[in-house]
Amino acid sequence: MSQSWPIIAAMLVAGFAVTYVWRVLAVIAVGAADPESEVLLWVRAVATALVAALVMRILFHPTGMLADTHLWTRLAAMAAGIAVFFLARRSADIGLAAAIVLFVVLQTI
Amino acid sequence: MRQPTPDDGPGAAADAAPARPRYDWSALPHGARGAVSVAGLVMALSFTGFGAFAHAVEFPLPAALATIPLIWALPGQVVFVDLWQNGAAVAVIAIAVSLTAVRLLPMSVLVLSGARLPGARRLPEFVLAHFIALTLWVLSNTGLERIERRRRLPWLIGAALTLMVAMAGFTTAGYLIADRLPPVLAATMVFFTPAFFMLSLFAGARWRFDYAAIGLGAALGPAAALVAPEWDLLIAGLVGGTAAFLLLRPRRRGLIK
Repeated sequence: MSQSWPIIAAMLVAGFAVTYVWRVLAVIAVGAADPESEVLLWVRAVATALVAALVMRILFHPTGMLADTHLWTRLAAMAAGIAVFFLARRSADIGLAAAIVLFVVLQTI
Repeated sequence: MRQPTPDDGPGAAADAAPARPRYDWSALPHGARGAVSVAGLVMALSFTGFGAFAHAVEFPLPAALATIPLIWALPGQVVFVDLWQNGAAVAVIAIAVSLTAVRLLPMSVLVLSGARLPGARRLPEFVLAHFIALTLWVLSNTGLERIERRRRLPWLIGAALTLMVAMAGFTTAGYLIADRLPPVLAATMVFFTPAFFMLSLFAGARWRFDYAAIGLGAALGPAAALVAPEWDLLIAGLVGGTAAFLLLRPRRRGLIK
């Protein structure tokens, strides 16, 4: 526990505050602003691209146990999940299940 | 607590004024039951994976659990843990985590506009806002319309509190069993997180520029990592997102529900 306190102290600033500020801005915005503004669409696009980049970073430069798998296993499973998502009429649950199943199968064979 | 002002119109200051709209907090336990859902199950698997990930990079469990109430958004939690263990400066971590949280702004605006009671006290909105992340957004998209308006915000807070407590349990479980899991299963738990993020992006995509943003972000991220490893997410997000927005944004208004 003792080694956690410095981390949690840093987390109050570099985790909590910097995350909550966006949620507070949303409360202020929803009371005053136009939720259809172009600025929000741009923010949405940037956020989407950023999370997609985060996914690719985890796939290309994984840490821990995921690092022991092959890059092609990770990419193929992800691609299969996306393909099945569309085949299953945009079902994220089925796409996710397909990605996981293929990931396990590719590792096992 | 706002006092009535002249803006409230004639009679608003008198005690004969119509009662200010109030939230119906009896919906809290109903929300707790609403948390038991497919979205909640997916979240549980992701947080089990997060626990296994924290264990794999030797991040202490109490600090991993603290990310749940403090950050409450898995991408931010993963980025925090990853950068901290890589020895990044606190300022760098703050910028990176904040960038992953930007997406919470439009998401929160959408959830709040569906759940808030216009004219009621605004403090509960600041409470609900802290709980808004991907799963709560999914829950509000799928279940909110069937709920009476004044019960919606308490319902969501009840669901979120339940999820928060449950995720602490799943994270602990993932952390503790990470060692004992067969390697295939352990790697699969970690793989769950990026797979869930990516499919949630596709599930949430509504317009062409959403798909373009996913594709450009995914393509630019690894490229930017070669050039500027600490800024890859920022570069990919700003360049990819802005390009997608400029090229393909919807031209007409009234597109956001």
